[in-house]
Amino acid sequence: MPYILQQLLTESARGHAERSAAWARGRTLSYRELEERSNQLAHFLRERGIKKGDRVGLFFPKAVESVVAMFGALKAGAVYVPLDPNQPAERITYIINNCGIKGLITSADRLRVLEHSSTPSVEFTLLTHELSNGSVRPNTFAWSALASFPADHAPELQATTTDLAYILYTSGSTGRPKGVMLSHQNALTFVEWCAEMFEIAPADRVSNHAPLHFDLSVFDVYNTIKAGATLYMVPDELAVFPASLAHWIEEKQITVWYSVPSALVHLVLHGNVNGDRFRNLRLILFAGEVFPQKYLKQLAELLPDVELYNLYGPTETNVCTYYRVDRALLPVMDRLPIGRACGNTEVFAVDEHDGMVGVGEVGELYVRGPAVTPGYWGDPEKTARMCVPNRFQSNFEEKLYRTGDLVSPDQNGDYYFLGRRDSQIKSRGYRIELGEIEAALLSHTGVCEAAAVAIPDEEIGNRIKAFVSPHDPGSLTAVELQRHCATRVPRYMIPELIELCGSLPKTSTGKIDRVRLAQANSQAAD
Amino acid sequence: MSTGLDLKAEIRKFVMENAQTKGVTEVSDDMSLTDSGIVDSLGIFRLVSFLEENVGVHIGDDEIILDNFRTIADIERFVNKKMNGKGEKASI
Repeated sequence: MPYILQQLLTESARGHAERSAAWARGRTLSYRELEERSNQLAHFLRERGIKKGDRVGLFFPKAVESVVAMFGALKAGAVYVPLDPNQPAERITYIINNCGIKGLITSADRLRVLEHSSTPSVEFTLLTHELSNGSVRPNTFAWSALASFPADHAPELQATTTDLAYILYTSGSTGRPKGVMLSHQNALTFVEWCAEMFEIAPADRVSNHAPLHFDLSVFDVYNTIKAGATLYMVPDELAVFPASLAHWIEEKQITVWYSVPSALVHLVLHGNVNGDRFRNLRLILFAGEVFPQKYLKQLAELLPDVELYNLYGPTETNVCTYYRVDRALLPVMDRLPIGRACGNTEVFAVDEHDGMVGVGEVGELYVRGPAVTPGYWGDPEKTARMCVPNRFQSNFEEKLYRTGDLVSPDQNGDYYFLGRRDSQIKSRGYRIELGEIEAALLSHTGVCEAAAVAIPDEEIGNRIKAFVSPHDPGSLTAVELQRHCATRVPRYMIPELIELCGSLPKTSTGKIDRVRLAQANSQAAD
Repeated sequence: MSTGLDLKAEIRKFVMENAQTKGVTEVSDDMSLTDSGIVDSLGIFRLVSFLEENVGVHIGDDEIILDNFRTIADIERFVNKKMNGKGEKASI
């Protein structure tokens, strides 16, 4: 049994050396090439001083080098940190400094974004391509530098399954992203369950639609490599054009697709999807947000032979529950359950009196088992709040993860997602803390008060609207504030609409009345 | 029907409004609208509706492809072709 992620690759490289492991933008890597290149990268990282547990950042658009970088970092004993190549410099800089990234694997183009950033922890930079006409910066290396390192073996590494493998940053309610630490064991718990459940085989052609900083990609990459199958990384710009994306799925003969529902909704609405075109497709997994029933029914009708699964779980547990869509029941269902616990995982719901909830009752979903994160990077307080001691058994010490999601179980033992305990929302599957958007708005010197609210939307889950009261009436414009947000938060978090007002409504305790703002907005929309 | 000059100006105006909400202040005719995030999976359909309503062309799902919408220049070329009765169909 593999106990660290890189063993999945080494094992597959032994059995499937000449098969394609990964495809991106017209380039492929065989298992042998991926194994050798990642060995070389691991040796390179060691020579640059990377020790076990050091952080290595991955900051470049998806490419076959992404997979080399992930495995190379792991083989060196490092913890990799995928950074969204489209995020503003300010947020990337925060993350680099927050977890002390020592080695940065990037492209010249992305490196320019960080030109004016102070990142003292970064000791060296490796470009995913060659150096351009003599503009050599100190401690910057070209990809070709890897060629001089041993390819046939990885460096010595004494590792255990509880070592950290990667850190995924998600939106934080206090205005700063937080780093969810995931161990090899966390990832493997999910990967092993998927392998058994979905029977990924060498002949499978698995899509990778999610960005690498989004945990949906963990299934794509590691389950593909474990199976000796081939990973097909969706070019970013194709995701914008449903007709082109549908053509790509057909042409690449994708057999397994995993994405957020909104990507599938777009395919249903504009992709001319049908079973004839997607003859090879056998399995669709979706996660990250609620799939609107109307479109799920259409998808099921358009693709009658494809198995559909709803997967659920926060980054802190990866996927922890699943539901296999029952086509016979679908026409009469008004909502889709998130289902029941995956293997090697236990979930239960707890009400406000700390009691386990029964059928039809509502409580917060708790998760236990080896999939649960050890916590947040550099934030023991937040970790203690979310990863709590298991007070429901006293035989030994263990942690439970509180999801903050309100759920209700039905008589079959399937859970239904009802909403959040806090102000976290989902838009296009991205997890967004409204507090982070408010903090971005408040960082503008002209802003006195700011509140962000979610406007439910059938296609993308939620749109974001903000209400802002300026210090000086008439001094600010919505566009100016959107521009300001663009320097602090990712694009998907910039409010689509900003309403400027004199002052914001307050509750009796003097807090901004977000409920009233959201209601005012929905009444205006009616 | 818009003249060539009007058409590009109208497309540019609409793209600029979208760009500003994403924090982008300058857009050249040959700049990739998808790489810069100005046109995303939602924005593309706003753009299509805008063209249908303001330029009076009908745009089929199989025409909403990268080749027709990568840059402002591409959109103009595509719309001009449509107005002359010849659209570029999906072929990648």
